[in-house]
Formats: sequence, structure tokens, C-alpha cells
Amino acid sequence: MSLITVKDATLRYGVTPALSGVSLSLNPGEKVALIGPSGSGKTTLLRLLGLQEKPTSGNVATLGCDLAGNCATSIRETRSKIGMLPQDLGLVANLRVIQNIILGRSGTRNFLRTCRDLLFPSKTDRDEIFATLERLDIAEKIYDRTDSLSGGQRQRVALARTLFQHAEILLADEPLSAVDPARGRDVLKLLTALCDDAGLTLIVSLHQVELAREFFPRIIGLKEGQIAFDGTPTDDEISDLYSS
Amino acid sequence: MKSARAMLFGRRWLLIILALAFAWTVTRLGTNIVNLSETADPWSTTSRFFTAAFSPSFTDENTTLPVGATPFLERVGHDLLRTFRYALIAMSMAIPIGLIFGLLASELALPTNRLRPLFNIFRWSIRMLLSLVRAIHELIWALLFLAAVGDSPITACLALGLPAAAILGKVYSELIDEQNRSAQQIIRSSGGSGAQSFLGGILPAALPDMVSYTLYRFECSLRASAVLGFIGIETIGLGISRSFENLYYGEVWTQLYILIALVVLVEAIGNLIRKRLRDGRPRTSQPDQITETQLRKTRPKNSLVRSLGLAGFVAIIAAWNLGDVLLKPAVFESQRSDRLSRFFAHLTPDPVAPKNPVPTWDERTAAWEAGSDQLLPWVTDLWNDPGKEALANTIAMSLAAIILAGSAAIILIPWGARTLASTKPLGLTMHGGKIRTLIGAAVRSLFILTRAVPEYLYAFLLIGILGPSAWPLVLALALHNLGILGRLWGEVIENSPPSEPRQILTLGGSRFQTFLGALLPMSLNRFLLFFFYRWESCVREATVLGMLGVSSLGYYISLRQAFLQYDQILFFALLGAAAVIAGDILSDVLRKKLRS
Repeated sequence: MSLITVKDATLRYGVTPALSGVSLSLNPGEKVALIGPSGSGKTTLLRLLGLQEKPTSGNVATLGCDLAGNCATSIRETRSKIGMLPQDLGLVANLRVIQNIILGRSGTRNFLRTCRDLLFPSKTDRDEIFATLERLDIAEKIYDRTDSLSGGQRQRVALARTLFQHAEILLADEPLSAVDPARGRDVLKLLTALCDDAGLTLIVSLHQVELAREFFPRIIGLKEGQIAFDGTPTDDEISDLYSS
Repeated sequence: MKSARAMLFGRRWLLIILALAFAWTVTRLGTNIVNLSETADPWSTTSRFFTAAFSPSFTDENTTLPVGATPFLERVGHDLLRTFRYALIAMSMAIPIGLIFGLLASELALPTNRLRPLFNIFRWSIRMLLSLVRAIHELIWALLFLAAVGDSPITACLALGLPAAAILGKVYSELIDEQNRSAQQIIRSSGGSGAQSFLGGILPAALPDMVSYTLYRFECSLRASAVLGFIGIETIGLGISRSFENLYYGEVWTQLYILIALVVLVEAIGNLIRKRLRDGRPRTSQPDQITETQLRKTRPKNSLVRSLGLAGFVAIIAAWNLGDVLLKPAVFESQRSDRLSRFFAHLTPDPVAPKNPVPTWDERTAAWEAGSDQLLPWVTDLWNDPGKEALANTIAMSLAAIILAGSAAIILIPWGARTLASTKPLGLTMHGGKIRTLIGAAVRSLFILTRAVPEYLYAFLLIGILGPSAWPLVLALALHNLGILGRLWGEVIENSPPSEPRQILTLGGSRFQTFLGALLPMSLNRFLLFFFYRWESCVREATVLGMLGVSSLGYYISLRQAFLQYDQILFFALLGAAAVIAGDILSDVLRKKLRS
């Protein structure tokens, strides 16, 4: 059974379609890169896959659940298995690193537990978060305020949050936009290695075609809200994608 | 990008409008600044009053007090404690209520489904309710609660707490909606509930601003609590008014100094907490080993904020439990409900008011049926005489005051702003810095002192010296707002990007030229935002200043109070509230225009 199934999905904001007639399916453990010019619908597709938005027509089912109400479990439970890494990282600047990470598990915890997590995190959680941060090389920052960290460090914090969430799918929106161009390769190396370790399915939107080819066996090209190619693109297909 | 000069030149219409507005207020309010009887010598009173500033009293100036009377300083101490207590209790009620209403009035809490428009209507009605409650001044709330509940301490607390809750509700809702939604959406998209995403994604980000605004509001409540003394509630205002009326000017100054010290202290603590919350604390010690336990032990803590928070909490508990009983026990059980129903009978507009002071429900409906057609004429009569005039005077007073305060502030700002009043203005070494640093500190102290004293207190003293006319009230409003505008505008100047204005300095311009040529045109829009925001609060304040005996809405409110005509009080209070709300909407519109 496939992990994500998209059937003829169209999403319109007003009259302009952000995505039209997109169909694809993804298997567990796959690593996929979404490429395409700005405004081609990469972020919108990620939002659909993350069950954050309902398609205007067609169907998007992630982990056997769609927003039309056909869910094996509940939408909240399904969402708790989807990790998002948005472009602006979605961290609260004036919280400590550990507080931002512990919020990743809100989907499986109740309100009172979240209150406790923010104020008095349990020893088990603390140890697990510390171990996660050790793998990401920023363990010593665990109790620092998030806004005292550099851009690259913050990205690792956001990554640690999805790892602590125990997600099955990681949807990352342009994770290279905030880091030094020279560090782009390192970030993707880290990201793919972590996903391999944890058995996560990874979907990343990217601008860097060369890096996409290097790290991702499957590349989906988006142009004006439609899928231009899906698989291993040829050079002609790539230059078509970026021509106007 | 327009040049700075063109931007300022393009604003000349603004100066023309303000000049015309001021001319109108002068024709409206007359030119009599001093209004004393022929025999009185204004200079002797004035000089006696201000000489006393240098010799504040530490003992009773009244030598004929009976043996065993509470000595002066002890009395002042008690008054001060009560002032502080009422403000604390009021804030402890206002914060939770403000939070609930702030959430209800926020866009964040609106559902995204089909019911959204319905909830939006609900949200706007909450916002209207908050506007109305905060548009009515603490003093008027106190008059109403005095009549409804009696003169228990809880009256003062409710009168202070109600408008504070409404203002907190408005500000909290704006702060909640201003926050970046990204973290909140992440929590939602990983399965968190709406409440969890608010708790983790919005509240922590909004908290520093919420805390710092709450502390500012506490400072305002403290001033308002002092002012309640002028209608007989036993806070420091009562002591000041008694000492002044008995011509014990030394005592007046002692109490003024103590009140100013208290307000300045609270403001200083607020500034400290604001700074700590914004910047966080740096890590002071690196652990020997990088382990979770070691890092946790040495984590940077905001111990100052924590201990002050704890102290505030303890103070609130103490305020509720120590001191006079909050609600004085009634002699008979029925007294309380009788008082309340009498109050509501007085509050009912006269044509439809039942004749029985403690009416039954049937008597109320009968009175309504008998007089409901007289209701509209009653309203028009009140509007024609004296409503119209009183409202115009109120608005003229507030307008004159804010224009005076703004003019004074604009002259003082280039001398007071930290970035200019320094040896290195905007980071550039210049000569003659030392004296500028001194002048700057003096100007900023002037701002702190003028805003520490509430408008009503200034007005009381100035009317005592100059006699009852509109101008002492205008002056009182202007003095307090000078301090506030000085601070707000100063912060705008201090936070503006220094690169452009620095250009003028590097070309050999003076600090003043830098201000006129670059800093002022750059900041003009934000200056205007604060100007209109303060004008709105001037209207609110001018409404009650009339209670000191000058023909504005407040004057008629205090007149009608003597005759228990609470229906007319309500009319004038709502008239004032309408002006404040109109000002609120006007400044909202202007703000949006200026932002775009």
C-alpha cells in the first residue's frame, strides 16, 4: 500500500489555480525532491500532503487519511505522524531549545501535559531530546534561548523537533534557503542520513537542481501548478522546467 | 523615495490644520487663564505653594489636632498602602478577565469553518463592549459603584478594575493577533489541538509584550487609584486634597513626592522586566562536561523576573486578605438589595422611572408604558442643554491640551533623545557632548516627572492656584501628556535606523539639523500615531476633569450626582464615551492611512 496517494488534486485560491490535476503516489521510505520555479506550487503541494489544506477537487490521502473525513484513525493522530519543516522553521524565538522541541509531540499529548512539558519536562523527554541534539551536534544548546542560535543551528532545532515527534513522513520546504550556499550539501547529507536511520519518508522542495540530482533518486518537477516530470529527469526536461 | 525635505514640506497641511484647530479651541474656551476674585492675589498663593516645594512637611501642619490623632506620616503611609492595594486588587481581577476577553476578541480564536461569519459578529460585539467599558473613566465608574455598592473598598477596586480589564482585553487581543502564526501552525499540523497550539506557539511569543503592557497598566491604575481620593475614597488623593484645602502646602508636597517616587519606582521596575524579557539572560557558566544534567544545572535563569513575579503574586494575595474588609457588612440583609434596586431606579431615565424608590417588576413595566413616548424628548432636551455645549468644551479642552503637549514635546525631543543627547550622537564623535548628555538627562527626567503625576491631580492643584477656568485643565492634561509623548516619541527617534541621519552629521550638520532634516521626517508617521492615540485618552480624561467645576461633561456629572440623577449622569457619561469611541475609530482610520 502506498503511503501517500494524490488523485487529480486541484487547489484554487479564488479563481487562480495554485495546483491543477496533480496525481502521484509515494511508498514508505522514499526520498523525493520537488523542484520548479518560484510560484510553481511546491509549497502548496507540501501543504496538501501534510493535510494542512483540502484540495478544491480531487483527493489527497496521507497515511490512509484525507480531510474529506475518510480516516482510519483520526486526523489529529495522522497529523502526529507527519513532520513539517517550513521555510521559516516555525520556532518560537523566546523559548528555550528544549521547549520548542518538546512541542513537537503535542499531537499525542493532552493540554495539561503540554503545560507540564513547557515548564517541567520529564527526565525521559529530557534525555531523549539531549540524545537527538547530540546527533545533530548542538547538544550544548539544549537550554539556550532559541533566538541566541545561528540560522543553521535553528534549522537543526526544527529538525530535532520532527525527530522527537517520531514522525513517519518529513515534509521540508526549501531547507536550504536559510543556510550558507556552501553548507547546502551538508544539510542534505544530514537530512537524508537521518531519514535513512529513522526510516522516514522524505519530501523536500528545492531550488538547487544539482543537489536534487545528487541526493534524490526521484525528482518531481512542478511548473505552473502541474507535474512536468516525475522520476529521473533529463537535462532537456530540466531546462524546459525553468524556461518561460 | 521622497527626499526628507519634500516629505516635511508635503505635510504643511498638517501644521495648518493643527493651527486652525488650536485657534478654534481658543475661541471656544476663551482667553482667561486666571479666574480669581478681584481681591485675591494669584502671585502670593502661587509663590507660597511653590516655595513649599522646598520645605515638605514631615509632621502635621495643623497644630490643633487632638492628642492621639494619627500622625501625618503614618496617615500618608496608610493612604499609600490603600492606593497600592486597590490598584493591585483591580489588576488581579483585570488580568484574567482581560485574557478571556482578549481571546474572544482575537482573530486567532475564530473558527475556520462555515460558522466563521457568525463568530465574527460575536467578536465585533465583544470589541464594541470593550470600547464602551474603557471609554468610561474610572472616576465615573467609581461614582456609579459608590451608589450601587456603597463605600466599601471593593467599590474602588471594581471602578479601577473594569476599565483596566477592557483595555487589557483590547491590547491582549491585538498582541495575540500580531504574532507570527508559523509556530502555531506547526503544532496544529503535527496534531496539536487549538488550545495546545495557542499555549505553545502564540502565548510564549506574545508574553513579553503582554507582561510589559500589563505593568504599564498597573502604573496607570496606581495613578487612577490616587485620583479616586478626590471623590472621597481613602487613597493618597484624599490626603492631598485635604491638605491643599487647608492650605498645608508642605504636606501637599510631601505626599506628591511620595506618590511620584512610587510611580517612578514601578515604572523603573517595569522597564527592567521589559528589558530582561526581551533580551533573555546570557549563559554565565560553562559546565565541565556536556551532559544534560550539567547543562540543566547551569542553564541561564531570569531570576530577577522570577522573583519579582513571585513578589507580585504574594502582594496580590496579601492585598486580597489583609487590611479593611473589602465589602463592608450590611446592618440588614435587605439593605444591599434595596440599595441596588434604588440605584437602578435612579439610573432609569426620568420619564420611564417608577415613582416607588424600591420598585417591583410590575411597577417598572407600568412606568415604562406610561412614559416611553417621553423618552426621546428627554434625550433631545439633555442634548440641547447642556449636552451639546459640554461635549464641545470637552473636545476643545482635549484638543488644546494635546496640541500644547505635542508642541512642547517636539521642541524638547531633539534635546532629550538618547541617540542625539550623547557625546557620540548616532555613533559619531562630536564636540560639546558632555553638556548635551547632561541636558538630555534633565529633559528625560522632566518627562518622567510630568507623566508620574495624574492629570486630575495637576488639574486640582492648578485650579486651586489659578481659579476655575478651562485653561488650568488644559494645562494639566498637557503636562501629563508631555511626559508620555516625550517618552513615546523619544523611543521612536532612538529606534530609527541611524545611517541616513548620520549623513547630515558627517556633512558637518548639527544635531538639531539632523533632527529636523532626517529624524523628524522619517518618524513623522509614527509621531502622528502616538499623537492621535494620546488625543483619544485626552478626550476621556477631559470628560471627568470638569468635575472640578469647569463647564465640560464632568461638571454636569458632578452637579447631577448631588441630586442622585444617575439617569442624567449615565447620559453624559455615554456622551463622553461616544466621543472617545469616535476618536478611537478616527485614530484607527488615520493609523491605517498613515501605515500604508
